[in-house]
Amino acid sequence: MSATPVKPRKARPKRSTILTIGMLAAAAYFLLPLFWLVVASTKTTGDLFSTFGLWFAGENNLFTNIGNTFTADDGAFGQWLGNSLLYAVASALGGTFLAALGGYGFAKYRFKGNRAMFMGVLGAMAVPSTALAIPTYLLFSQAGLTDTPWAIILPSMASHPFGLYFMRIYADSAVPDELIESGRIDGAGDFRIFFQVTGRLLTPAIATIMLFMLVQTWNNYFLPLIMLNDPALYPVTVGLANWQGQAASSGGASGDYIPLVVTGSLISIFPLIVAFLFLQRYWTTGLVSGSVKQ
Amino acid sequence: MTPRFRRRTGLAAAAASPFAFAACARQPVEPPEHVSQAQIDDAMRTPTELNFWTWVPGIEKQVALFEEAYPDIKVKVTNAAQGAGHYAKIRTALRAGRGAPDVAQIEYEMVPAFTITDHLLDLRPYGAGELEDQFVEWVWAQVSGANGEVWAIPQDTGPMGMLYRADIFDAHGIEVPATWEAFADAARTLHEADPEVYLTNFPPSQGAFFSGALWQGGADPFAGSEGPVLKVDVVSEAAQRVADYWSTLAAEGVVSTDPDFSDQWYQAANRGKYATWLTAAWGPVFLQSTAASTSGKWRAAPLPQWESGDEVAGNWGGSTNGVFNITEHPIQAAVFAQFINTDPECTKAMATEQFLFPPTKALLEDPEFTGLELEFYGGQKVNEVFAQISATVSPDFQWPPFNDQVRADYGPTVGSTIAAGGDAAAALGDWQDRIAEYAEFQGFTVEEGS
Repeated sequence: MSATPVKPRKARPKRSTILTIGMLAAAAYFLLPLFWLVVASTKTTGDLFSTFGLWFAGENNLFTNIGNTFTADDGAFGQWLGNSLLYAVASALGGTFLAALGGYGFAKYRFKGNRAMFMGVLGAMAVPSTALAIPTYLLFSQAGLTDTPWAIILPSMASHPFGLYFMRIYADSAVPDELIESGRIDGAGDFRIFFQVTGRLLTPAIATIMLFMLVQTWNNYFLPLIMLNDPALYPVTVGLANWQGQAASSGGASGDYIPLVVTGSLISIFPLIVAFLFLQRYWTTGLVSGSVKQ
Repeated sequence: MTPRFRRRTGLAAAAASPFAFAACARQPVEPPEHVSQAQIDDAMRTPTELNFWTWVPGIEKQVALFEEAYPDIKVKVTNAAQGAGHYAKIRTALRAGRGAPDVAQIEYEMVPAFTITDHLLDLRPYGAGELEDQFVEWVWAQVSGANGEVWAIPQDTGPMGMLYRADIFDAHGIEVPATWEAFADAARTLHEADPEVYLTNFPPSQGAFFSGALWQGGADPFAGSEGPVLKVDVVSEAAQRVADYWSTLAAEGVVSTDPDFSDQWYQAANRGKYATWLTAAWGPVFLQSTAASTSGKWRAAPLPQWESGDEVAGNWGGSTNGVFNITEHPIQAAVFAQFINTDPECTKAMATEQFLFPPTKALLEDPEFTGLELEFYGGQKVNEVFAQISATVSPDFQWPPFNDQVRADYGPTVGSTIAAGGDAAAALGDWQDRIAEYAEFQGFTVEEGS
């Protein structure tokens, strides 16, 4: 990003009060539930239901809650976090790689059926992934892959046609044909050109897609719910829903699960925040400027 | 985009090739006429692994007792989800023809949803036919098919009663209302005396509560539905009486209308905003852990009655264990479902340790169960109250084969109208139309009451 020259004061765009209020309202709308989550994580079951929801109770119970969350059910929560991490990272890496290869191919190669296949991808975007969960289950059940990590990773890698679409659009504009030609003139093969030259220009798109897939797989509930039976394989979403179910059921000790669900939810969003902070620095455009004369 | 491909192809959508899945799916078991004791003994000595999907906390205890009694059978318990997620998971696996459990937790209201798709095994030939006498009459009716089939074994129930704040009642000189009429008067008196307090809360999106209220009110909207014929009559006089009653109270503003089991509701219950909670037999223990700050102030009583002197209750909640007919081990699965729900040690642990309200006569008469005094209820024998209520639940209440849809349609029609104090009769009609439309769309022949 380059700094724009400072313009004279009077030309500065007028601030819109309405817009500012609107944005503040939107920010509050999105941040308030998060704030509630932070506040609720510091409370005991009793305080949760007897004190005002959006402010802290007298005593801070956060660390006890975190401790309990990680020790309940023999440390199941830590395992769920690990599983979620495995599924999300593996799906994001694999899925982004596939999307980058495919999108680049669609954008830069001329072959029969390019357009038709791309239309197929566009069509696939219109089908919500939840609707595909059951057919996917049937396929994986035939292949004997249900109740294994593959049942989550493989569909998650391939179930985001948006990634491919986005890559194609991005590669189309970010990778100049001249760059590929100059690579060919220098005698590099197609894969070498992709991995060493043009692929790097796609970094901002790759970071975007990776983040997108990371979040989507991390938050996916329905697919792991129907695919997995073994609690040792559950991701955090299914695990927490399971605790939530126990908290809501009529069992005697059920109330004890409520703070665990709340605290667990809070902990489970931290990896995503870290991923955002880490990947956003790759969101810089303009890498290509100056590489060729146009 | 390269010019070469401009306008070459029309839109060629990705053609999905249909897969033939049926080939290696498991075929359902044809239930035999009778299974001899020798066959059962033989099967129970064959090393087998059963899959059991349930959400009941601590069920491992009953499973361990079963494995102790039948050391050759191993039971694998899967607890993935509750309610909608649980059923979605089961339906998917049943559709795939593999991966489904042998035995699963099924709520009473969902039993018809699995019999209509022909997925439940009739347990009669496996000895379940002889269990009828052990269970309360209305509970057994809930798991019985039209031709006497036994579709599942009852595990717990939720006969409905009223939990009330004795301290609030005393402070305002309110008697425990025996009739709905007295209840309405008390609601007016109390709210007038203290505008912060409501006699009770009507939960607008809680279809299960309303079903229980219909049940108590003598409405049986889906009675006589069988197979492809769906009878629906949520506009009956009995149903109107219930809906009008609540709509009137809501319109007067003397009952609150907060969504139940929400943050707001829990807080209000702790704060003393509601003087009663119209709930089920699982309510007392639940309230104890979520409204701990009000300990000692609550008492339990039967629901108010529509006709003075009556003793009628409805049911809200509870579940069963059913066996799916794709199981490879029908005998073992059936014996398991029966054992954990009838073995004295198993059922006693459920009632006294897991706090599931029992469906068996033996436990409901067991002084050790009924005599339990709960501190939270000022030492009252709450189990005894609900055991007596259980005996008054009407056996006539049939669930539709798609109760989840009926529930989903309830909130936007009847629930929200009552909460707003609107025209209850019109809302019931609206609900009926939606149910009928959905049923026809699903291929049922609909016979509407009027």
